[in-house]
Amino acid sequence: MHSKQEFVSVIQENEGLIYKVTKVYTNSKEDEQDLHQEIVYQLWKSFGSFRNDAKITTWMYRIALNTAITHLNKEKRRSNHVPMNESLLNKTDTGDNLKEEQLEILYAQIKRLNPVEKAIVLLYLEGKTYEEIAVITGFTATNVGTRLGRIKQKIITQIN
Amino acid sequence: MELEEMKMLWGEMSAAIEKQKKSTDTLIIKMTQVNYRHRISKIAVPEKISAVVCAAIIIFIIVNFQKLGTWYLQLFAVLTVVILGALSFLSLRAIHKMSSINISANNYKQTLAEYSKGRLQFMFVQKLSFYLTAILLVVSLPVMVQLIAEKNPFKVTRLWMFYAVAFPFFTIFARWVYKYYSKTTRQIEGLLKDLEE
Repeated sequence: MHSKQEFVSVIQENEGLIYKVTKVYTNSKEDEQDLHQEIVYQLWKSFGSFRNDAKITTWMYRIALNTAITHLNKEKRRSNHVPMNESLLNKTDTGDNLKEEQLEILYAQIKRLNPVEKAIVLLYLEGKTYEEIAVITGFTATNVGTRLGRIKQKIITQIN
Repeated sequence: MELEEMKMLWGEMSAAIEKQKKSTDTLIIKMTQVNYRHRISKIAVPEKISAVVCAAIIIFIIVNFQKLGTWYLQLFAVLTVVILGALSFLSLRAIHKMSSINISANNYKQTLAEYSKGRLQFMFVQKLSFYLTAILLVVSLPVMVQLIAEKNPFKVTRLWMFYAVAFPFFTIFARWVYKYYSKTTRQIEGLLKDLEE
């Protein structure tokens, strides 16, 4: 049985992971905050069933990405989320304008991809191997490789 | 920016994120509480309210059915009950399908496939609802005029004026609905096809 304190530590240690997933799957600060909290909530709901034989980050990516899909992108509601400090949502504010501009371009390029490509490219950028990407996404490692090749081409076309 | 450049920049960003301030214990614990609700459940609220309203109207028509003296008003009443019942059932079923996805057990591919199929079904129901509502307006108004106002609906001039005014608006809106749903449906079908590759 996992304790709440254990869960809090896991979230704190891997907060960057949640931050990056929410950044890629949302288009506004409000949606970002909503999705961040929903991911934490879903992680907590599944935490009891997490078995230590899998890597904690693999499990976290799976839940976070699944939550991002089912999290509708727009409208309908303004939820009663827990207020978050601005600095927790602006982790990449470095004061370096050029770097921030480059990051904006980077996110914009990823957001133009479809949901399958978005997840694969995110995991690739995170340094995951084809096998790890395959475990999280459910595609075969070979298929992940083929898709990444296509994504590279697509990104080049986007630039041109 | 090419993929390799992206990876380098992503690495730098990840390193910077690690140095940033973390959420406090209290904030994380607050997030785990049911204070926050899933978005789909928020969409389900108006659908559930609509289902209750539909059920009330169905009961009202059934209880007062004998007051409808002619065969065509009785036919309209039956059609109203069937359409109201079907609309509520289909809509609630589609929402249930989308909200019952097992986030912790599924992988990304399974979740995306199930969610896309659920969305397709939900969109079909929405499109169908739009057209059924138009039929509902035509068949339910004479029934309601008879039951609530206790007047012969075919002698109420305002009822016919309503039909005359509503028809052109409905035609224009129906075209827009058709185009909107066709475009979105094509996108989802494309995604499902991509998943099967």
